[in-house]
Amino acid sequence: MKYLSVVWTVARKDLLVEIRTLERLVAMSAFSVLIGVLFHFAIDTSLIRAQTIAPSLIWMASIFAGMLGLGRIYIIEDENRALSGLLQSPISLDALYFGKVLSNFIILLSIVVLILFVFAVFFNLSFPGNLLGWTSLSAVVFLGVLSFVSIMTLLSAVAVNNTMGESIIPVLVFPLLVPTVIHTVTATNRIFANRPFVEIEGNLRILAAIVLIFLVAGASLFRFVIEE
Amino acid sequence: MNQSRMKKISMSFGILGVVAVLILHYMVFFWVPTESSMGIVQRIFYIHVPSWWVAFISFGIVALCSGVYLWLGDDRLDAAAVTAAEGGMIFTTIGLLTGPLWGKIAWGAWWTWEPRLTLALLLWFIYLGYFLVRRSALNPEKGKRLAAVVGIIGVLDIPLIHVSVSWLRSLHPEAVVLNPDGPTLDGSMLATLLVGLLAYSLIFVCLFTVRYATELIDRGTQIQDV
Amino acid sequence: MIPRLQAVDVSRTFVRTRAVDGISFDLNSGELLSIFGPNGAGKTTLLKILAGVIRADEGQVSIDQKAVEASDRLWRSQIGIVTHQTMLYDQLSARENLLFYAKLFDLEDPEDRIRESMRTLDVLEMADRLVGSLSRGFQQRLALARALLHDPKVLLLDEPYAGLDLYASRLLRDRISSLKDGNRTIVLVTHSFEQGLELADRIAIQARGRFVFTALNESFHLTEFEQLYCDTLQECGV
Repeated sequence: MKYLSVVWTVARKDLLVEIRTLERLVAMSAFSVLIGVLFHFAIDTSLIRAQTIAPSLIWMASIFAGMLGLGRIYIIEDENRALSGLLQSPISLDALYFGKVLSNFIILLSIVVLILFVFAVFFNLSFPGNLLGWTSLSAVVFLGVLSFVSIMTLLSAVAVNNTMGESIIPVLVFPLLVPTVIHTVTATNRIFANRPFVEIEGNLRILAAIVLIFLVAGASLFRFVIEE
Repeated sequence: MNQSRMKKISMSFGILGVVAVLILHYMVFFWVPTESSMGIVQRIFYIHVPSWWVAFISFGIVALCSGVYLWLGDDRLDAAAVTAAEGGMIFTTIGLLTGPLWGKIAWGAWWTWEPRLTLALLLWFIYLGYFLVRRSALNPEKGKRLAAVVGIIGVLDIPLIHVSVSWLRSLHPEAVVLNPDGPTLDGSMLATLLVGLLAYSLIFVCLFTVRYATELIDRGTQIQDV
Repeated sequence: MIPRLQAVDVSRTFVRTRAVDGISFDLNSGELLSIFGPNGAGKTTLLKILAGVIRADEGQVSIDQKAVEASDRLWRSQIGIVTHQTMLYDQLSARENLLFYAKLFDLEDPEDRIRESMRTLDVLEMADRLVGSLSRGFQQRLALARALLHDPKVLLLDEPYAGLDLYASRLLRDRISSLKDGNRTIVLVTHSFEQGLELADRIAIQARGRFVFTALNESFHLTEFEQLYCDTLQECGV
């Protein structure tokens, strides 16, 4: 299908550029480890068991890493006015949006997986013991990252040609992330506590709804943020 | 609709609004009975809830005008959206300032993560984002479109925030002395609340019409075109 | 003869300035229009409207008498644009950049077309070098290769000679000249009177968003045209 081919072409180009420079991946990876270090020192482990709040820390670290890495996506694209080149091509703008969501999703998902393992080591977490637990965790991570990326891909375009640059992005994005944070953290907590799947199912459903709303809104509104 | 007619409309709403606010204050301070468990401070409720009402309805107007602005491109819709946003932000601020006063009495804490208060706080920041995006865009036309997008995304997110925060609260019911939704209203209390809603709505309409007219003048649009 | 490219009363406002103010022109197939004008005249905005990068507020652009709708993205495959920014990715090679654009334009036999396009523009030897490592002259020729990849009927060139040395300018001029013989319609915006007059069939001077002077190019002499240009702008109060 031509539409999917365009989506993949855009995503592939972004990933190729990223692999060549590794700028974002290195920065986000280093950040992920270092924020884990800071969190460790910020928690008084004589009062709190780190395992109790580790899921929250994992998601907060993921959001901060995402802000760091995804805030500049259009500023990078706009070097040499490559963005104009895309606008001049016959591709539909929602295909461009989905292509960017896909590349950003792959990049951030890799970082979140890194965070999971780094934090598991730093805070001595035990992962779920069974397949269902792993599947649930994968689903929560997948939906949480996709929810974040879909909104970032839309709103970080605001940073181009803007006097505040990327610093405006957290103001716009953080209020919108509250529902995602609530459900990902609750679900992750329950998964690590080996709670039955029926307790996690509700969170997954709402996360799926959030993802759907953000993707549809993002694809519909993208042309207004990207056109000159 | 010409300038003098707009003036008459806004004046009428303004006068009615001020009268309604005076009546409201009379009712709040002298007429409505004191709520038995919370005492006098409970009367903030009649200021606080109406200001929230107006804040949320304003945001609905912002989102609606933004959506139609993106669709039709009519600059007057953008003027209406930014005007509603200004009014909405004022009333959200009032709600956020009076909320903790109420909360200190009702729950013994200046701030609780009660759904409405949390939502009002986030709404305030969505409004802030709306204004920042307008002002910091290098191309003002682009700034209007970006603000419209923020308005639309904001209104989509508000029900999600409300549902999620309420759900989270239901997991951890706090020991509350009183019903967090406010006292069970008897006739006179309900009447006072409704007067409050009416009064604030009238004030909002007055502010809106005046501000909308000045916004259009700033943009060089003829008032006849309203 | 049906005009290949036609603009009727095209306008675009930014804030309260009419960047493009009621511009109309016709261009037949194979013709080249050179547009001259001071900075801020709206020349780049006009070209961006013709390319579909931004939308006109008023007026109509047509290709082969078919009006182009801003929301219909497919007509953009009939247009190629080169600006003084390359629109290429520094971190990808020349070939990778062209392959990317070939896929966006959904071209058949992309590899062959890329090779042919690069050979025509004499950049084939640089195919696997990263664009960021190429000289400005090579980058501009590569940008032209990108613009021609999908064989557009209409070619828009916005100050393509900017930043090029004499040798690179001559090379680019030769390439553009050879394109003229192939029934392509070209709009060239340039500050170089020499380059602009040499190839033009029609000329226009744009100031404050309007065409303040238009004519067929009947062998204007360079000095004569320079004088005409200054006089025209003076009359307009620029």
